[in-house]
Amino acid sequence: MGAPRRTGFWSGFLAIAPLWLGVVPFGIVYAVIARDAGLSPVETQALSLFVFAGSAQFSAAGLFATGASAVGIVLTTFLLNVRHVLYGLSLGRRIPLPGWRRPAAAYFLTDEVFGVVAAQPSPTFPFLLGAELSLFLVWNVATLGGALLGAAIPDPTELGLDFVFPIAFLALLVPLVRTRVELAVAVASGTLAYAVAQLTASGGVPIVVTGVVGSLVGAWLTRGQAVEKPRLEDAIREVA
Amino acid sequence: MTFWLALAGMVGVTFGSRYAGLALRTEPPAFWVRFLHFVPIAVFAALVTPSLGGDLGEGEIRVVGAIVTCVVAWRTRSLGISIAAGMLAFWLLRIPF
Repeated sequence: MGAPRRTGFWSGFLAIAPLWLGVVPFGIVYAVIARDAGLSPVETQALSLFVFAGSAQFSAAGLFATGASAVGIVLTTFLLNVRHVLYGLSLGRRIPLPGWRRPAAAYFLTDEVFGVVAAQPSPTFPFLLGAELSLFLVWNVATLGGALLGAAIPDPTELGLDFVFPIAFLALLVPLVRTRVELAVAVASGTLAYAVAQLTASGGVPIVVTGVVGSLVGAWLTRGQAVEKPRLEDAIREVA
Repeated sequence: MTFWLALAGMVGVTFGSRYAGLALRTEPPAFWVRFLHFVPIAVFAALVTPSLGGDLGEGEIRVVGAIVTCVVAWRTRSLGISIAAGMLAFWLLRIPF
């Protein structure tokens, strides 16, 4: 991770590849669950194409099955996805996105893409878009496969493939922790998220709460310190 | 009909959340610059720990897999190798003896 020239579209596309192992089985299972919930193949695929948010799609499929109202489904989706505001704030400062690039970058933004791009020392728009389209393509092909194959699929949780996601974020976290304060924030955030997750059912709440509280603690602990040194890409952006 | 109405709303709140952060282009005060520096650290940690328990009563195996991932990520800094090592440790420990 992080050689200076690795900033192009295909580098981004391939940077996500280690996560395909986890994404494919869950895309397939999402489609199977959505079909079981009574959605047509077109509706199942439409959620992957237009919403493109795994946890929200899973919960929506479950809610459609119980006959929940559109308002309830939309509110649940908002609660699960509001964490993307934090990702956008973080990425928008590091990557210049003039014109059509901003809505394009926003449309395909996910946890996994934020993870891989935020861990990059000098991310670019082509790298970001490559990572985004990589995940979008694989998620949608997996959805199509699941919608066509039906229920003849083993449960990926049974195989332990859901474990790919936490360890992927752990592997992205480790290189970011370089100071004592960063280590303290990482440990405190992990503990807080675990505690909040025990109290709430939704997957979005622990992330939003911890993202805000953990970052506040970090900013407070580093008060009085100089803002991190301007990096090369910031200098380049100011010239451009 | 309910489906397409719900879909439109889901697209609205999801794209809205994804766009809102990217659209805020003003340079924030120093405190918030440091805040944003810690966002990936806090969020990645929050994406790890709630999933370490697992639903199958195999929490200890998952913690060991996470420790292996941590050590390998620290030594190699490679996402692919770290995931492979963590999954290998996890699957080997799952074999019932």
